[in-house]
Amino acid sequence: MAVIETIGLTKIYNETIVPVKALHEVDLSFDQGEFTSIVGPSGSGKTTLLNMLGGLDKPSSGQILINRKDITTLKERQLTNFRLQHIGFVFQSYNLIPVLTAIENVSFIMLLQKHSRKKIDQRAREILEQVGLGDRLNARPSQLSGGQQQRVAVARALASRPDFVLADEPTANLDTQSAFNLLDIMEKLNREENITLIFSTHDQRVIERARRVITLVDGAVAGDEKRQQ
Amino acid sequence: MMLIKIAWRNIWRNTSRSLTILIAIMIGLAAALMASAFSMGFVQQRFNNVIERFVSHIQIHNPEFVHDGEVYQYLDKPQKLLQSLSQIPEIKYFTERTKINGMIASAKVSAGVQITGIKPEAEQRLTDLKGWLTKGTYFEDVKRNPVYIGQELANKLKVDVGSRVVINFQDLDGDITAASFKVVGIFKTIELAFDEGTVFVRRSDLNSLLGDEALTHEIALILNDFNQTTTVKNQLQQQFPAYEVRSWENLSEELLMMQEMTTQSLIFLVFIILLGLGFGILNTMLMSVFERTRELGMLIAVGMSKMHVFRMIMLETLFLSFTGAITGMLSGFLLISWLGTKGINLAGLAGDSLAIYGYGNMIYPDLEPQFYFQTAIMVLLIAVLSALYPAFKALKLVPAEAVRKE
Repeated sequence: MAVIETIGLTKIYNETIVPVKALHEVDLSFDQGEFTSIVGPSGSGKTTLLNMLGGLDKPSSGQILINRKDITTLKERQLTNFRLQHIGFVFQSYNLIPVLTAIENVSFIMLLQKHSRKKIDQRAREILEQVGLGDRLNARPSQLSGGQQQRVAVARALASRPDFVLADEPTANLDTQSAFNLLDIMEKLNREENITLIFSTHDQRVIERARRVITLVDGAVAGDEKRQQ
Repeated sequence: MMLIKIAWRNIWRNTSRSLTILIAIMIGLAAALMASAFSMGFVQQRFNNVIERFVSHIQIHNPEFVHDGEVYQYLDKPQKLLQSLSQIPEIKYFTERTKINGMIASAKVSAGVQITGIKPEAEQRLTDLKGWLTKGTYFEDVKRNPVYIGQELANKLKVDVGSRVVINFQDLDGDITAASFKVVGIFKTIELAFDEGTVFVRRSDLNSLLGDEALTHEIALILNDFNQTTTVKNQLQQQFPAYEVRSWENLSEELLMMQEMTTQSLIFLVFIILLGLGFGILNTMLMSVFERTRELGMLIAVGMSKMHVFRMIMLETLFLSFTGAITGMLSGFLLISWLGTKGINLAGLAGDSLAIYGYGNMIYPDLEPQFYFQTAIMVLLIAVLSALYPAFKALKLVPAEAVRKE
């Protein structure tokens, strides 16, 4: 069953001045547990598509159905809450809260979701163990390497068991070993927890691991390859 | 709870910047409070001097005497009044005075003065007249017609303790009377005009010269609790409508006005200083918001509501302001308490020039608790105002753009 579905998704920037078409009539659907890479040259619309799927930006036309609910009709406050409850984000620059420890960063979203303290603590420890940071629970981001920080970010995104995780070039700032470690972890979590992962990436290492690769060119879907692994 | 934790820790992310603004708030506030306490101490000193020197808390006169000050405008049949005064528990002490205008002359010079007949023992309990003695005695060991004069007048008349002076005045029949008095003591207050224009004699001596042993122009009284002044004054006025009962506020209107104006202007001064500090806080928080655009964008992206972000920025600003305000107010309080006991001696700066205006050289800074409270309210107001703009800036962030900001 499709977790996410886009129908005629179009995004035009500067519609009244010099219109720039970032996405054009994109029709896609993502099933539960998929591991998808969205690839394409710079300016092809990868980030715009991810922003749309994450409810961070509104399309000029078209629909985005998440669990059959059209999120383009939601108001800003509803959309924020929707993101909180259903979507996990992993950013290129980790974007952890520098004043919080690893476990506090991971707990943060669950606190916003108003889970019980006990449950939050249990889940945060469990997921940090899974990403191999069980011994760095109380380290602040500045005390962690880039790879470790990104693993905390992954743990944060997955801790609340979202419907899907959007990762925008998550390996771009990592060395090869850290990138492989991160991909191993994400792949494992994808399999174990059946979480849908959607990456936007240029990184060949990610593309090779993905079970589905969508290629965007000039805002339109130029290829959609599904692989057996 | 997490929001409070993040906000508090965020303040200390840039320690040097936060410390700079905290120290600015601390010094600014402590200096403002100290300046206010100094001014209040200055006014309070003047107030105490006036009350202690002669005004007392409440005075009772013949209503006509208040305007004309003539010898025949005395208190009519004051026995019942005196009896009542001794029965009112709020009254600590009271004394009767005879007050007339006249001339005092030495062998070489004469001068116009106010002659006040007092009961030396009773007067001591009300005013600090004896405390101003610099030479001689305070009406002690002299049997006939002693006079207690100010240093300035002694200089003018070129007399000293033991000298004889002649005092002329109009008696109750309108005749000019003159009598010889012996200078027994010389006093020096902090107000030169008072020292030059007032002499004190025994009321019994003066009254016998005036021709009425019971003559009373003024009854001065002090209360156990200064704050009861208005209540007691109104009570007496109601009970004895034939007399004019006036409190220190009526007797020294300039003093009351000065006190009120000083308080108002000091609050304004503190507000201006805080306003300046408010812009410092605003600048610090704006920098902090701009520096954290990506982080704030991330918070909104992952599902933190903009209202939470707004509250977080508000909290950070309030924490920063209150940390500075609390340390500033505490430093100010400690400094004021220390100097309030020790005093600030302005003699080196001003010499005797303050005495011309009725002020002493020693100032004891003093600030009422309510001034601290008002300052705290102003800090709260300024802090909230300073917090609003950066917090609104944070509200306008577009998460999709903010998360990619370098």
